[in-house]
Amino acid sequence: MGTFGHLTQEQDDSRTLVVVFLRGAADGLTLVAPIADDDYHRLRPRLAVKASDAVPLDGTFGLHPKLAALEAAWKDGDLAIAHGAGGESDTRSHFEAQDLMEHGGPVAGGWLARFLRARGPVQSPLAAVALAPTLPASLSGAPSAAAFASLDEFSLMEGSEHLPHFPDQLRRLYEAEGPTMRAAAANTFEALRRIESIDRKASPGHGAEYDANDPFARGLRQIALLIKAKVGLDAASVDLGGWDSHFTQQTLLEPLMSRLGNGLAAFRQDLGPRMATTTVVVMTEFGRRVGENTAFGTDHGRGSAMFVLGGGTKGGQVLGGWPGLHPETLEGPGDLPVWNNYRNILAPILARHGTPDSLGEIFPDFSLNPVSL
Amino acid sequence: MSPINRRQFVVTGVGAVALSAAIFKSVQGWLGEAGQYLGTNLARPLHGPLTPPSAADLDPVAHLLNRFTFGAGPGDHARVSAMGAEAFLDKQFAPDTIDDAVCDRAIARFSEAWWEPLGEAYEEDDEALTPLLRRVTLLRAIYSKRQLLEVMCEFWSDHFNIDPGKGDCRFAKIDDDRNVVRAHALGNFRDMLRASALSPAMLWYLDGRANTRLTPEEKPNENYARELMELHTLGVHGGYTQEDVMEVARCLTGWTILAKKDDGFSGNLLSPMKDRAKVVFRKEAHDDGPKRVLGQDIPAGLGEADLDRVIDIVATHPSTARFLAGKLCARFIADEPPAAAVEAAEKGFTDSKGDIKTTLRALIATPEFQQSAGTKFKRPIHFIVSALRATNAQTDADRGILSYLERMGQVPFGYPTPDGYPVAAEAWHTTLLWRWKFALALSNNKIDGTSIQRDKLTNALGGDDALMATVLNRRGSEAESDAALQSGDRLALLLASPAFQHC
Repeated sequence: MGTFGHLTQEQDDSRTLVVVFLRGAADGLTLVAPIADDDYHRLRPRLAVKASDAVPLDGTFGLHPKLAALEAAWKDGDLAIAHGAGGESDTRSHFEAQDLMEHGGPVAGGWLARFLRARGPVQSPLAAVALAPTLPASLSGAPSAAAFASLDEFSLMEGSEHLPHFPDQLRRLYEAEGPTMRAAAANTFEALRRIESIDRKASPGHGAEYDANDPFARGLRQIALLIKAKVGLDAASVDLGGWDSHFTQQTLLEPLMSRLGNGLAAFRQDLGPRMATTTVVVMTEFGRRVGENTAFGTDHGRGSAMFVLGGGTKGGQVLGGWPGLHPETLEGPGDLPVWNNYRNILAPILARHGTPDSLGEIFPDFSLNPVSL
Repeated sequence: MSPINRRQFVVTGVGAVALSAAIFKSVQGWLGEAGQYLGTNLARPLHGPLTPPSAADLDPVAHLLNRFTFGAGPGDHARVSAMGAEAFLDKQFAPDTIDDAVCDRAIARFSEAWWEPLGEAYEEDDEALTPLLRRVTLLRAIYSKRQLLEVMCEFWSDHFNIDPGKGDCRFAKIDDDRNVVRAHALGNFRDMLRASALSPAMLWYLDGRANTRLTPEEKPNENYARELMELHTLGVHGGYTQEDVMEVARCLTGWTILAKKDDGFSGNLLSPMKDRAKVVFRKEAHDDGPKRVLGQDIPAGLGEADLDRVIDIVATHPSTARFLAGKLCARFIADEPPAAAVEAAEKGFTDSKGDIKTTLRALIATPEFQQSAGTKFKRPIHFIVSALRATNAQTDADRGILSYLERMGQVPFGYPTPDGYPVAAEAWHTTLLWRWKFALALSNNKIDGTSIQRDKLTNALGGDDALMATVLNRRGSEAESDAALQSGDRLALLLASPAFQHC
């Protein structure tokens, strides 16, 4: 592929990786409950998801009913789940665990940034975006990455509608340049054209419905618009925060799970066939303690759950089994251990997204053991 | 401003607002307002000769300003033409003789950047330090009169790249910037290399602090040793072997930095805050056997003197002269540097035993340099800073500017791997969109914390054509003139034009 082939040719095979980070340490035991495990109900007398309420996945696990919107993806074999997922940080510090996970280890720069660099020269000014006020650490050191709140920010003429001739005059000067500059400018104009041609008011595809009042859903919708507009988006990052459920966990988590489940389901429906080339990964810095605290909440733990949706994922499976919740399997003060390091979940995805030979560079100083996904 | 000890600073009273991170944060808003008072009128006064260049092509003075400054501001071309390029270079090569009061004032309020000893920086808010270093660096690039020094600081920051995102580098990079990069940017390469080898930030970043041999079985950490030869001196094809990497790593075992708590590397050398991150040599962690590096024997028992032997061997290796000459020519002449120019710079480096000024003078004197005018694609920082300089902008160099650099992928001190930001144009071609947006935003005063006075500038220069010649550093072509007129926003179009993307 030539350096500037990407946007000037209509390529449908480009892939987009969407990373959803659940900040605050989401309780994997509520998201994906081991409903068949008696110890779970014994250790979580007030907070356990009842087997009768859960959306059954396999003989062991059930999704929290607030995530019921994801059942279709599971049944279609499009959604895989890793339980006991997390990193190696055992400080149980949000900051340190997020930092380590977003960097992909105790290294400088973010793992998404290294992934983008491993793909070779970026093809588009919109190769990577984050729906955030500033770039997340995972994108630090990226060849190009834009934090944004609204698609309007990508318009050249934002607030400059009184300059209708500006783009044409600019184009004229670049067309008189050598082939490299000419191509770079042509690519940029094409990206702009595609963004400007996006009908922001059009209904989402395939009858999908996003909650217009939910910023998370709005973010997913903008990402879907960019993917459908083929602006050359390789990676996108979006956060859903607020999972730090030390107190009254249920009231806190239920609306968040609804937003997560409904948002992802709408995104999947909206993209339709393009989900085949779009992978969504949902991750969090660590999970919660197995035992409840006195405030109807849970404290900082270790292993949580990760979700992988679309992009050719071998779905319908919960990866890596279930060790049970016996005292001897728990870690430290009574925490679900980590048996699925997040890198081993990400590795096969990144391989599919064009970097099969660079996994060691993306996750340095770690002995990778990728899962089958 | 010279380094300052926290306690002296507090005693003098002027630093009261900077006492603690918490207070720093709480007064940030206030500083924003007071900044206009503290660093008032950073934009230069528009009097004196402001005659812009009149040649149709970049003349030698314009070329020199394009490559060895962060871009010409109003009147720069006239001033340098009057004094002559040689006199300008002489002055720039002696930065201490240049009065830089305006720039000093602009950065004076960021006093946290000057704490010495480094241990004192650990009392600061670690999340505030790197943004502060970025602002100080950008303010210097924009407002310092010691432009060649600033350009070379950028070059060496890439050459000895350290990402402050790794471990304690967030504290120690500030010290590295001062005592390695800025102290030696126009000095002797060997001195800079030694300073870098013993820089706390480098010892963190490339794991030198963990390079110990406490038992005969322990394998040295090769990270720094490899990058020392691959990136800092000989270059990847410079003729060293894996054996050399292992031997250099052995020579450097035992150099570490004092830690607050036992990190497993600095032994029991726990330290009071002020000594934190101090560099020490642990004899018991040093491999004192005989070594052989790049064909030269280093006898057993030299202890910490192994370091200087290694630095001498790699600094004076012929591949190092060739590698550095090539990098300098790639930065200042062409992405694929012409062989003759590389040879000239290499000779300058070798003959002067690594004197950076002599090497640069040799490079500038080559016909290849003179012939390369206008052909280099500016990197994002260069583009942004040159636009601010050309328009005589007043800026706080804060989020408003940084958000554009993020989008273009060149935040100062934001590159994760030790090879530093790429120089070749190819890496930066997708940044055009953000350059164009920046041009429009700057021209229309829509960047937070940054303002220009477009009409005042145009009038002071003597009209639209003079503004165009000031921005482009040459007379505008007919096509540029026409496009600027028809675009509806002359200044934005010129800043977005292909000519302004190049230098």
